[in-house]
Amino acid sequence: MTDPPAPTFEARLAQARDISVRLKGAIAAVIVGQDAVVEQVLWGLIAGGHVLLEGNPGLGKTLLVRTLSSCLDLRFSRIQFTPDLMPSDVTGTNVLVMDGGGQGSKGRFELHRGPIFGQVVLADEINRATPKTQSALLEAMQEHAVTIAGTRHALDEPFFVLATENPIEMEGTYPLPEAQLDRFLLKVSVPAPSEDELTEILARTTGKPVGEPGRVLTRQDVRELQALCREVAVAEPVLRYAARLVNASAPDAADAPDLVRRAVRYGAGVRGAQSLVLAAKAVALLEGRAHVSFADLQRTAAPVLRHRILLSFEGEADGVSCDQIVGELLASVATRPAAVERAVQGV
Amino acid sequence: MADSAQSDFRSAFQRLAQRVHRRHAGRLALTGAGVGLSLGALGALGLWALRWGEWRPMSAGLGALGALVGAALASRQRWSESDIALYLDARLDSHETLTTALAARGGPEPALAHVLERASSVLGSADPKRVKPKLWSRWHALLPGALAVIAVVSVLPLPPAPKPAPHAPGAERVQIENLQGLERIEALDHLRGQNPEQDERLKKLAEQAKKLREALSKGLEKREALSEIAKLRDGIAAERLKLGDRQNRPGLDAALRAFGNNQALHDAQKALGNGDLTAFDDEMQKLANRAESSDRQAAKDALEEAAKEARAKGAKGLADALDAQKRLFERRESHAGALRELAQSMKGQLSPEALEDLKEFGRSGSPEAEKRLADGLERALEGLTPEERKRLAERMQRELEGAAGNASPMTKKQLEELAKQLSRKEGVEQLKKQLQELSQPEPSDDAKREQGLGDAERGGSAAERGLGAMPIPLDGDGAPGAATPGDKAGPGGKADPSGSAGPGSKHDSGTGDHHGSTPEIAAKELRSKADARLSAGAPMHGATLGRAPARPGETANQLGTGTLGDAQKTEVGAVDHADIPEEYREQVGRYFEP
Repeated sequence: MTDPPAPTFEARLAQARDISVRLKGAIAAVIVGQDAVVEQVLWGLIAGGHVLLEGNPGLGKTLLVRTLSSCLDLRFSRIQFTPDLMPSDVTGTNVLVMDGGGQGSKGRFELHRGPIFGQVVLADEINRATPKTQSALLEAMQEHAVTIAGTRHALDEPFFVLATENPIEMEGTYPLPEAQLDRFLLKVSVPAPSEDELTEILARTTGKPVGEPGRVLTRQDVRELQALCREVAVAEPVLRYAARLVNASAPDAADAPDLVRRAVRYGAGVRGAQSLVLAAKAVALLEGRAHVSFADLQRTAAPVLRHRILLSFEGEADGVSCDQIVGELLASVATRPAAVERAVQGV
Repeated sequence: MADSAQSDFRSAFQRLAQRVHRRHAGRLALTGAGVGLSLGALGALGLWALRWGEWRPMSAGLGALGALVGAALASRQRWSESDIALYLDARLDSHETLTTALAARGGPEPALAHVLERASSVLGSADPKRVKPKLWSRWHALLPGALAVIAVVSVLPLPPAPKPAPHAPGAERVQIENLQGLERIEALDHLRGQNPEQDERLKKLAEQAKKLREALSKGLEKREALSEIAKLRDGIAAERLKLGDRQNRPGLDAALRAFGNNQALHDAQKALGNGDLTAFDDEMQKLANRAESSDRQAAKDALEEAAKEARAKGAKGLADALDAQKRLFERRESHAGALRELAQSMKGQLSPEALEDLKEFGRSGSPEAEKRLADGLERALEGLTPEERKRLAERMQRELEGAAGNASPMTKKQLEELAKQLSRKEGVEQLKKQLQELSQPEPSDDAKREQGLGDAERGGSAAERGLGAMPIPLDGDGAPGAATPGDKAGPGGKADPSGSAGPGSKHDSGTGDHHGSTPEIAAKELRSKADARLSAGAPMHGATLGRAPARPGETANQLGTGTLGDAQKTEVGAVDHADIPEEYREQVGRYFEP
């Protein structure tokens, strides 16, 4: 019996596009609107990164994650972050288990795995836990492994953390430290639904309950998508554009825009640049391309960079948002050499 | 497979890239040429504006050179393949497919092959018209514009020369190789002063005049030159003898009284009263020449007494001048005596005219008669035969023996010498030479100095006129003795001794028409306002040229100097405090300088 021939790159690309369309369709059956949010969550899934969803309560963040996990043939777990949540509540702990009963029975420690051992982990309201507990996610998110009682345990692949946070309730919350934020590939802002979307939500949720969507992607499909994403080609000028974009976000950079110099304390780093290219590859893949374009980088710039830019006191006092900074960067950093740009414009 | 796809893509890309490159290079070259030509046009405009007409034809060449340089520089800015790929991607909306296919780095082979395939497809379906860069830009409008400017500027008449900015008054530069008048100031170098200090000052004035001449030959601001001349004139005026000033006035009055005792000294007294030492010297010369010994003695006595009186009144300068005049008078008297003695000895050989001149010489002492007498003697000596010369020598010898010391020692000695020499031909020649010397006027040092200073002053005025300025009258301008030799006096006027007087002049002693008449003035009602009694030799009353109110005794010929001591305190330094432009302040200040 011989193995079936490996599918061609074009076939894999087409398959990936087909899968993504089906996945978006399945999610859309439950989630009304929020196409951009769904799209960006898919970028994170395909690029193998974690996503931080930020939005007001009741916008369907948790529902989105639950729906996504339903569509994926992956093990789902949920952690509701609270101030008294302990790291062991996230990672798990060794529990003493007695063999048999009565006297003389021997006891042994058995690992009681925490919710982090899921494949799609929902860290709900992550900023309500203390930094100590938040940091329990660091190793898992970066290395896809946890260390419990000195023993390192690898997590099952694919491993995908979806965290949510509420930006308006600041009482009793612990803002995520920069190191933690940097572990998230994307920070997705969940907007309020439009009137049409809200009407549709009302129609769906106030009548007969809708069933959960069926499995669309197997675990293998997800891994295949992630592998294919890594194969997407990037031209050097495109990589240089990503590098210029990230460098310009630092206030002391030579080509930093005035707004960055004035309102930014720290810019994005190397991990930001890597995330930018990876997310752009996912975008290209979802559009059925095997290479990244400038437009892909520009589309992913805001969700990739917004949580990696630390505003200065002056910037915060002036009410400058990180999305404004990213917009300024996109406007000031040229994609092509000036002479080429002039020729393109026909000047 | 990837290699063939790569080569297919490469060849397709190169075809399109060459087209893009050619168009782009052409566009750049045109832009460079336009900019270069525009610079050339600007240069041509500059040449036109600067009125460098002969260089204008070069502007076309300058434009062509600019175009070539511009095109060469532009061609160096050619696009790389990556730039062309970026351009094509943008024009074809191919999402950087071509750029990735061309410059993909480390991409997995399947993905790269797919990209190459997509890129080939994009290139295959590309519309060449859509991807070719625009050849013309708005900058290329510079080309015809610059060409038109160069053409127009090459034939356009040059603009009129701008009017030179008007100079500040006196600020224009003058360059005069030889300013007339300065040489008279330079002649002060040869003048003998009253004392070594004055010698030094005169030499300094001459040196300054020389420096001014050199500076003028190189070019100098007019006002600066005028200022220098004014300083020189001030310096000259300061050197002149001022007999009428506060210090000398009492002495002068006393000296005049000494001359008032004898009618023969009337003219000399008047000349001295006028402060005209040159005229006074002339009158003294005439007196010394006279045959009448009482007149000569009176003159010597008057000089001695006047000097004594002047010294007693504190007029030292005047007293020194009178003393010097007395010494000169004696020398002149001796010369005149010698001439007369010789004429007496040769009386038989003299022509009637010469005899008449001898009489005139003895009567008036006129230098002209002296000159004519010397000439007559010279002619008589030429006509003597050796025998007559011998007889003349013997007769002179006898007369000398008979005179027995009546003649002055000098005269006797001279005549003895002459008597010895007359027997030889060389002796006659030597005698003729001595006669010439005797007939030469010998002015006093003071007269010479005053004459020289007056001449220098008039030279300063002439220099100012030469620079186009109106000379400020100073002491000495128009003063007696200012006339140059040959000037003719009007009816009743006075002529320079070496000139010939006009009809009616009482000083006329020439052989011309002496019957001049003064026309009657048709002014019956004319009355003299002045009712002052004129004293002989004393200055006339009248207005003065002085800068202070006139004082009794001042005349038009006497500058009222020495009177500013009565000035109010507020007038001291008034020029410095007055509202006078800075550039004129020094000149105005000098004008009012006491």
